[in-house]
Amino acid sequence: MAALLIGFGEWWLYIGLGVAAIFLTIGIDRIDEDARGAYIFRPLLIPGVMLIWPLVLWRWFKLETNSESWRKRYQPQRASHARLWLVFGIIIPVTFLAAMSFRQTPPADFEPQRLSEAGETAQ
Amino acid sequence: MSDRAKSPFFVGYLPIPQGLRSWLIAISILLLVLFAAVSWAVGTTQDDPGPGAFRFDFGRQTVTGILEAKPYPLVHVKQGSERIPAGHTIILSGQGKNGAISRAEPLDGKLVEASGVILKRGDLDMLQLRGGEAGLSAKDGQGGMIAPKPEELGRWKVAGEICDGKCLAGAMRPGTGLAHRACANLCLAGGIAPVFVSSKPVEGSEFLLMAESDGGPLGDWFYDYTAVYISLEGNVERRGGLLVFKADPDTIEVLK
Repeated sequence: MAALLIGFGEWWLYIGLGVAAIFLTIGIDRIDEDARGAYIFRPLLIPGVMLIWPLVLWRWFKLETNSESWRKRYQPQRASHARLWLVFGIIIPVTFLAAMSFRQTPPADFEPQRLSEAGETAQ
Repeated sequence: MSDRAKSPFFVGYLPIPQGLRSWLIAISILLLVLFAAVSWAVGTTQDDPGPGAFRFDFGRQTVTGILEAKPYPLVHVKQGSERIPAGHTIILSGQGKNGAISRAEPLDGKLVEASGVILKRGDLDMLQLRGGEAGLSAKDGQGGMIAPKPEELGRWKVAGEICDGKCLAGAMRPGTGLAHRACANLCLAGGIAPVFVSSKPVEGSEFLLMAESDGGPLGDWFYDYTAVYISLEGNVERRGGLLVFKADPDTIEVLK
């Protein structure tokens, strides 16, 4: 399981590196006129792009295709905020309590057992 | 004016609107009580990290004794210091997450001078060596002195957890448990001696230096079981003042 998670993380970052290479050399000039001609700051964005590359691609697509609705983007999401507050208010304590409850119990009562006498090395 | 425009609105740098004052006070008190309750609950449900600690207050300790490199470096003290009496057996480690295997191997069986800082937890002692020959070096005058002969104590089934000896002895608090697992495995990968913490004492000791069943350092099998409560069988032997548990990985069982 741990190897799977690490493998997933590696591939995520490899893809992110590819997206960063393309976005920071081609994409950023196409969607942000303020970035044109400015290069020194671009390497600083590489780690961030590697982490959130799906969002970068999504935003690039929206801006490239002019399907961005800035009104919708900046509209406060107060309705869902209340629901999310409630959901997280339940999920976080439940997760915490589950983590505290479903854990190994120390074998405090286990008495070490001698399986063979001193001086013997029987298997 | 719409109802929405008339509803009170909180702005941090303006006085609190009258309609929100009681709500704000109630929430503030509730959060204070809640945080205090959660802090108390978390604090009281944690396992005791134990009394282990780096004993910098003891000052630098220098001892002379016979070095045994396997399974992990330890010194049977012949000439003690203020805090480490003669006859004591002390495990060695390097600095940080480094063991002392490569430094100890050329000195196996020889009289050495070891110098450093003690980590102490109950009857488990570890000496974090100084760098270079100031920390560990051969010493003249061995004469006929040799390491104590191992005393076989039979085969045992024990339950508890595998820890790295350094954090357990006091480099970390806690130096045991699942939260410490990644740190323990890093220390063990660095060559620090693994120690089995038994649920109850075996022949008077709850800490057993671990070894492979052939007496050498542990293989890689144990990494998946570090910091997990397990039961395990193996032969136990006494080497000086220390018990060595020669673990048999085929008998390992993860406890519920």
